[in-house]
Amino acid sequence: MSGEEEENAAELKIGDEFLKAKCLMNCEVAIILEHKYEQLQQMADDPMNQVSQVFEKSLQYVKRFSRYKNPDAVRQAREILSRYQLAEFELCVLGNLCPETVEEAIAMVPSMKSRGRALDEEAIEKVLNDLSMIKKFD
Amino acid sequence: MFLKVQLPWNVIIPAESLDTKGLMLQKSIIIRLLDDFSTKKATKDLGYFLAVTTLDHIGEGKVRQHTGDVLFPVLFSCVTFKPLRGEILEGVVHKILKHGVFLRSGPIENIYLSNQKMSDYKYVPGENPIFMNDKLSKIEKDVVVRFSVIGTKYIEVEREFQAVVSLEGDFLGPVS
Repeated sequence: MSGEEEENAAELKIGDEFLKAKCLMNCEVAIILEHKYEQLQQMADDPMNQVSQVFEKSLQYVKRFSRYKNPDAVRQAREILSRYQLAEFELCVLGNLCPETVEEAIAMVPSMKSRGRALDEEAIEKVLNDLSMIKKFD
Repeated sequence: MFLKVQLPWNVIIPAESLDTKGLMLQKSIIIRLLDDFSTKKATKDLGYFLAVTTLDHIGEGKVRQHTGDVLFPVLFSCVTFKPLRGEILEGVVHKILKHGVFLRSGPIENIYLSNQKMSDYKYVPGENPIFMNDKLSKIEKDVVVRFSVIGTKYIEVEREFQAVVSLEGDFLGPVS
């Protein structure tokens, strides 16, 4: 990123590191951190003492803010979202916030409506429908 | 936003931990890497460092002159969290002041929502002060709020991020 003033996630203007790196949904981070925590549990009696504050706070956060709990549902959510022409960042915002209507989805991810995108309201509606199906079987 | 990143780092193994071979050396490299990783805490570009997920490659060690320590180039994957301007996030209210509230989201504690950025909400003083609007929507301690990030700042000395956020926009505010 050249200048901080330019950063604007609403327009998908984000740092180069985000374009190279993979974005993760809260539920995916929850699986990774919980697995890490279990590994520590096997090695130490008091695993919370072994982890950094950053780890602890993040684990608590993603446990509370995961829309999908079981690993199959998490995998399915990413699979469904990947079918549409969404940037990694947009995909994760939708998976994290699970908007219920097209208007809400566009308010959460305004870049979806920018010019030159193949996503019309019908397509967005379909994404939300597909996502809500997973939630039911979770 | 949470990120999965692959990073190249150098891990320095002190000369005295080098007398055993093979597995022990690999173990020292991992321990050293995990240690360096949690000490690093955060960087401006990638945000907070949460956890190392895999150690992908250990390169050829190079002996450093004078000390005899060995430097190993390693490649590993990790998870980080960085707040972005323009991003919409959810957080939990942890402190209410007269002029605004503080929230936490992910590893960040210092997320400030000023009263000016939620102008329809009014401060209601009391033993447990809250913010409330005409529709009786309440922002109180431990409530989940959805907000947009309008500014972020990285404090190098503390290796912490701060963010200022706003409720101006559709579908933002307390989440039931």
